[in-house]
Amino acid sequence: MNLKPFIPSIRITGEVKDGMYIHIEEPTETISKDAVQMWRLTNTIGHAIALIIIAVLLYCADHFHWYGWVSPVLYTLGGLLILSALYSILLEPVFVQRHWRYRIDEEFIQLKNGKWNTKHVVIPMEKVEYVRTEQGPFLRKYGLYDLEIGTTTSNHTIPAIPQAEAERLKAVIATYAKVRDEEEEAI
Amino acid sequence: MSGIQRFHPAFLVVELVSFVKGVFFIYFFLFVLKAQSNSGWVVWGRYILIACSVWAIVNIFLKWRFHGYEVTERTIVLHEGVFVKTKRTAGLDRVHNQTSNTTFVHKWFGLTSLKLETGTSGDHGEIDFPVITQEEKERILSLVGLQQRETGREEGDEIFEAEAVRTLRFQSKKKDLIRASFTSLSFLAIFPLLSAAYSNLAVFFNLEDGAEGAWDYLVLHWWMLIILFVIALLISSVIGYVRVYLKYGKFTISDDHDKIYIEKGVANVTHFSIPKRNVQAVVVEQSLLKRLLGLASVKLISAGSSELESEETSSLYPFLPKHEAYRIIQDMLPDYEIQEQMGRFPRQVLWAKLLRPYYVTVLSIAGFLIFKPAFLWVSAILFILAVILRVLDYAFTSYIRHGDLIQIRSGALTTETFVTHKRRIQQATVTHSWLQRRFGIATLSFTNRADPTHVSELYGVSREEAGEFYDWYKQKSASS
Repeated sequence: MNLKPFIPSIRITGEVKDGMYIHIEEPTETISKDAVQMWRLTNTIGHAIALIIIAVLLYCADHFHWYGWVSPVLYTLGGLLILSALYSILLEPVFVQRHWRYRIDEEFIQLKNGKWNTKHVVIPMEKVEYVRTEQGPFLRKYGLYDLEIGTTTSNHTIPAIPQAEAERLKAVIATYAKVRDEEEEAI
Repeated sequence: MSGIQRFHPAFLVVELVSFVKGVFFIYFFLFVLKAQSNSGWVVWGRYILIACSVWAIVNIFLKWRFHGYEVTERTIVLHEGVFVKTKRTAGLDRVHNQTSNTTFVHKWFGLTSLKLETGTSGDHGEIDFPVITQEEKERILSLVGLQQRETGREEGDEIFEAEAVRTLRFQSKKKDLIRASFTSLSFLAIFPLLSAAYSNLAVFFNLEDGAEGAWDYLVLHWWMLIILFVIALLISSVIGYVRVYLKYGKFTISDDHDKIYIEKGVANVTHFSIPKRNVQAVVVEQSLLKRLLGLASVKLISAGSSELESEETSSLYPFLPKHEAYRIIQDMLPDYEIQEQMGRFPRQVLWAKLLRPYYVTVLSIAGFLIFKPAFLWVSAILFILAVILRVLDYAFTSYIRHGDLIQIRSGALTTETFVTHKRRIQQATVTHSWLQRRFGIATLSFTNRADPTHVSELYGVSREEAGEFYDWYKQKSASS
């Protein structure tokens, strides 16, 4: 893409090799590969339910002679939903899984995710208030856990971590955060 | 120590007065302004209003009857609830800052009120004593102070009890009040008042016919119009001055070794104090008008105080000359050094900002196309406004890091300069979108404790700087 004809003074830096756009020590741990399968499954179910609801509404609109604008709106919604289904079943799980990185050490929790909108988060251990693991029926099917980390101001979830690893991380964070907490009190 | 204490009977008067103040305008609107109206919502509104008022008044009596508090050496226990009883216990060492407000009514009874903010966010973050005697207030505050000093000592803080000498940093003078009343534009308040008075009188006296005659007369005698205008302006200036005087008169900022005190008001006296170690950040706010006049308002962000409220209490005098404001902050909080010279971002950031999607414009185009195609020109105006705001935003946005401090400035019409310490930052985030990568820039954001959480976001930092910011935050500051 070249913007030069429009705005001569722009200095276009271009995309540096993906992942090293900004020079920071990036986290390296990845989330489970099974996450792709799991998200495909959950997104399929979610979209299927939404499509069924729209189909039922369409049938009702036709059968009970609802307002004229209802059907076109429902068709548009259905169309958008199908596009969204294609994206979130085929592409999104792969991207999310491939680009999720985290790193937990004594001092910091670092998170990185997103392909187009890349986000790096760094949380000092002493700001961690709680940590917990969570598992719904679909996560259980694949033996995975979500790890939720709560801080004084917000909370973050690292999705789809294998059970043993999730348990270990929970214990590790709890230990580090506790130790830090006592030091932090002095500030 | 003592058992459950009930509030002074003046609680009833204070609560009733504040209730009347709260509903006065609704009554005025429904029973005076809309006196002639018979429309359904007005009639129903009146019934509902009366029902609510009766309930509120009964509730005040019940609250007085059943609410109470208990102060022990380490905690305050609040007994609340009329039908569902609750008991809330708050540790005295958790108190972040305190406000004491003395209204007219409090003065009559020789009483005051006290509000203690604890660090927790949410509904139960504060301990409120709507009516309290001066002695009781002093007793509670001394317990709080004692408790905090004790925890401080356990934590190894250096505390000089002997050095509890207060230094006066600022005292409002007449000059300041005049400046304040001018800046707050209260002299313009006369125009809505006049027009409201006029339109109300018109209903009663059928002014319209007569007014036209009066208008013709005024056009002929234009000097009279000018005199009337000047008189109206004078009156409203005086009213504005009196209002500012009542609110900000006798404004003093002082501090001692570990606390900052703000006192203000003539009719309503408010005392506010916050331990210096609880200050999470300093914010300097300048509206367009204040910028022209070189004034600034400075706010202290703390974990307890909500941002809405801090407008009222934890803000230092809102009409200080900028340099004086900076000097006062510097003297009181040597840790927070505000840099006045801040550079602008490189030009390409402006192009990046202008290229971001214009959601409001697009939505308005869609909306107008569907519902009112004739008004499509409004979208053009919205678009131009959006562009102007973005250019202004670019012009005023900047960022400096020095030592362990980070200072960011943003905003188009009202600029906000936010200064905080690395240690006070709860988490840091760097994001970059596809568009930003084309321009070699990134967004950085960080959060500070406040209620609600204060999130600072800065769009358009160069990618090198974003990386440095990230590393800077990861490096432990020397003092912690």
